[in-house]
Amino acid sequence: MEPQLSWYLVLSAILFTIGVVGVIIKRNVIAMFMCIELMLNSVNLTFVAFSSFFHDVTGQLFVFIVMTVAAAEAAVGLGIIIAIFRNRESLDVDDASILKM
Amino acid sequence: MLALLFILFAGLAIGCAIAVVVQRNPLYSAISLIGVFIALACLYLLLAAPFIAAVQIIVYGGAIMVLVVFVIMLLNVEEEVRRPTRLVFLVPTAFGLAVVLIAQVAFILYSVHGSPLTPREVVSDTGLSASIGIGLFTKYLLPFEITSILLIMAVVGAITLARRSFLVSREEQTPTGARILAMPTSPATKAADRSERADEPPGGPGAIG
Repeated sequence: MEPQLSWYLVLSAILFTIGVVGVIIKRNVIAMFMCIELMLNSVNLTFVAFSSFFHDVTGQLFVFIVMTVAAAEAAVGLGIIIAIFRNRESLDVDDASILKM
Repeated sequence: MLALLFILFAGLAIGCAIAVVVQRNPLYSAISLIGVFIALACLYLLLAAPFIAAVQIIVYGGAIMVLVVFVIMLLNVEEEVRRPTRLVFLVPTAFGLAVVLIAQVAFILYSVHGSPLTPREVVSDTGLSASIGIGLFTKYLLPFEITSILLIMAVVGAITLARRSFLVSREEQTPTGARILAMPTSPATKAADRSERADEPPGGPGAIG
């Protein structure tokens, strides 16, 4: 039995849901960042599954672009995390809930 | 055979993803996340997309996770401590949102279920790098160029955010681990600021006149 398209979609939905739960539950800003990466990856899985099942390369092109955006997001996001840590000496998002120092 | 491989890698991905959320030490979360990326790369291979699988390993498993692990080690992140949450409604909100998401996906699957799917051909050049390159440089040239502009902006932004805002002389630096990071305002000076403000008369300097 071959894997169906719906299997990949279910797996992607489960991964995305785990990512959402992680972003809401976690307090460490780096852990939240990693959960966002998890959500991006689940969307990529959906793109590739549709692309492969419908024989259209467009989905994989956009996965490529999503990966580039994720790399840019990682660079800028980690820069922001370092800046926050410098000012507050904490990575807890509750400590940074007020933007004012 | 393919179904067995799918179940193997899907189970690996889900297990590692749960570990990312459950672990309290961010470094263990990062290593579990690398497991998710590798499992997803194997799934891309099952989907006949070797180029995307390779890029997944190189960009996600390599570049992004090296950045994350580097920042975790640079900032010397400690384990999350259990302490009473200020926003206690967040956890039920998270599970409620998860239920809503699962319901949406169930609806989508219910709609997709009856639609006929074209059977997958064994010989197909959909996932090969040649077809991806042709698509990227002809029909989708504009998104490609916009992505390059985005990368330049990200480089400039990351350097601007992470550089020292001004140079601190060595005497002023705190002897703790914060020495590397050269904090612009150390906690001691902030406390001094606050006490000075407390010493002022209630009306402030303008109250004299």
